[in-house]
Amino acid sequence: MHAFRSELLKFRRWSMLAGSGVMIASTAFIAYLTFHQITSGATGPELTPLIQAFPTSQGLITVVGQARSLIIVIALIMVTSNLAAEWSQGTLRNLLVREPNRLRLLTGKMLALVLYVIISAALTLVISAILIFAVAHAQGISTAAWTSSEGMRTLLAFFGNEMLCLVGISLLGMLIAVLTRSVGAAVGVALAYVLVPEGIIAMVWQQGSQWFPVRVLNFLPGSAFPPAVGPTPPQGYLTALGVALLWMIGFVVVSALVFRQQDVNA
Amino acid sequence: MPLSSDTFQSHKPAAGDTLSGTPAIETHGLSKHFGQRKAVDGLTIRIPAGTIAGFVGPNGAGKTTTIRLLLGLVRPDAGSATVLGHPLTHPERYLPRVGALIEAPAFYPSLSGRTNLEVLAHLGGHPRSRVDQLLELVELADRARDPVRKYSQGMKQRLGVAMALLPDPDLLILDEPTNGLDPLGIIQMRDLLRHLREQGKTIFLSSHLLGELEQVTDWLVMLNLGKALFSGPAHEFLDRRSELVVEAEEATQLDLVARIAREAGYTVTSDNGSLRIACPLDFASELNRQAREAGATRIVIHAREVSLEERFLALLKGERS
Repeated sequence: MHAFRSELLKFRRWSMLAGSGVMIASTAFIAYLTFHQITSGATGPELTPLIQAFPTSQGLITVVGQARSLIIVIALIMVTSNLAAEWSQGTLRNLLVREPNRLRLLTGKMLALVLYVIISAALTLVISAILIFAVAHAQGISTAAWTSSEGMRTLLAFFGNEMLCLVGISLLGMLIAVLTRSVGAAVGVALAYVLVPEGIIAMVWQQGSQWFPVRVLNFLPGSAFPPAVGPTPPQGYLTALGVALLWMIGFVVVSALVFRQQDVNA
Repeated sequence: MPLSSDTFQSHKPAAGDTLSGTPAIETHGLSKHFGQRKAVDGLTIRIPAGTIAGFVGPNGAGKTTTIRLLLGLVRPDAGSATVLGHPLTHPERYLPRVGALIEAPAFYPSLSGRTNLEVLAHLGGHPRSRVDQLLELVELADRARDPVRKYSQGMKQRLGVAMALLPDPDLLILDEPTNGLDPLGIIQMRDLLRHLREQGKTIFLSSHLLGELEQVTDWLVMLNLGKALFSGPAHEFLDRRSELVVEAEEATQLDLVARIAREAGYTVTSDNGSLRIACPLDFASELNRQAREAGATRIVIHAREVSLEERFLALLKGERS
């Protein structure tokens, strides 16, 4: 609890606020751009599934969820840079002298960081949704399907799965920070991982890459979208959920084992 | 740094805890290797409670690694140690009573000095009032709301000292605490250390400023290549720092004197036609008598007190040769 409260104080840093600001602004912008493309009569194979989903109960999440990958990347950078900075700045030694129980320190820090990521992402989605509602109303576009009971259920399913996905992403960020122990290396490795194994390798080895952690975690909120928009889990939602939980447990166990034994020379 | 009685609790150690009693720090064959490099090599030292212990050594001697070992930040490869009576393997038992400033103090630069202290106060479960007390003590109360990135080096150093004092520690480990301080700041730091010792606290003080250490320390630990060259009461070391300088016109007379001094067990070095003998000053009369008996009648003996730096360098030189 002490570690958690202590970590909350650090959220006054501009870098944290900037991370949330970028997440909110870029997601709202991409959502508005998607909305504009759909309603302006633009056509194309990439837009067709979005246009088809737009008037349905899944219309709102289809528009708001277009920046999902960006939210994942920003959340990953926020967690890795925040945690790795304790090594880079040398502040970890101050923290460990005041809280020598390393697992308690890491748990408190991560609870606070995950809370921050979830609040930022929730604000991002709520602000984007309000923006799209406002623009739709201003243009006289019906939103009845979005606010129907089915629409609300879809929205909540998307929201819950997106939060679960971000918890997993945060735990991956923790593992990367604990292993690299430097902001530059942590952010570099995090981005490289998302781009290379999860991006490029996935293009040539789809069968195997469907089990990669970021992909599996992304399948969870993707399951709330129409199959044509996706990404829906090819292995089925429950299997994807189970694998995602296994990955999360793995990230926690490895991080805890490494951090507990690590020499702090920073 | 204004000192008030309510800033620190008096923890005067019992008689048995002082120089002859339970040590604040004790290590036995403590070792830490980084790859092939031996940072700390079989270190055995003892720091009595209630003293200011100076920790001296050239760069790379292993001082910071020793401090990190004592704080549980790195794990030893061999040996054992106790801090405030508890083994290194259980830092959670003694660290709540330890304050530390390690190397250059580290902060969150975009947070204010006050918030930086509050982060650690929350973590250690210390009351918020303690933060205000310490900001007053280190004279940063009027700049407490400024981000640390706007602080001067001296202000950062004072904030680091405030961080170390947060738990009102029984043992204070300070690594170069006077770095960046102006002369007045150094004097204030010296007064603070003395005040803390009067409160019964133990201070383990690593510094390159040997002259500064000489003024405040009761105990000295001298380190080189990860090994202790000296560990004991400061006066034992400082008492040995006198030397006799012997001058003579004839080299044969100097040779006679050198032989007498060596036979008495003292180190003799030649220096521009004179001899330097590291020995107590009261050996001068005995040396003079023996020299006359041996036929060296035209010699001049001067007594000279060497600085701690010179003594330390001589010790290092002896170790290296």
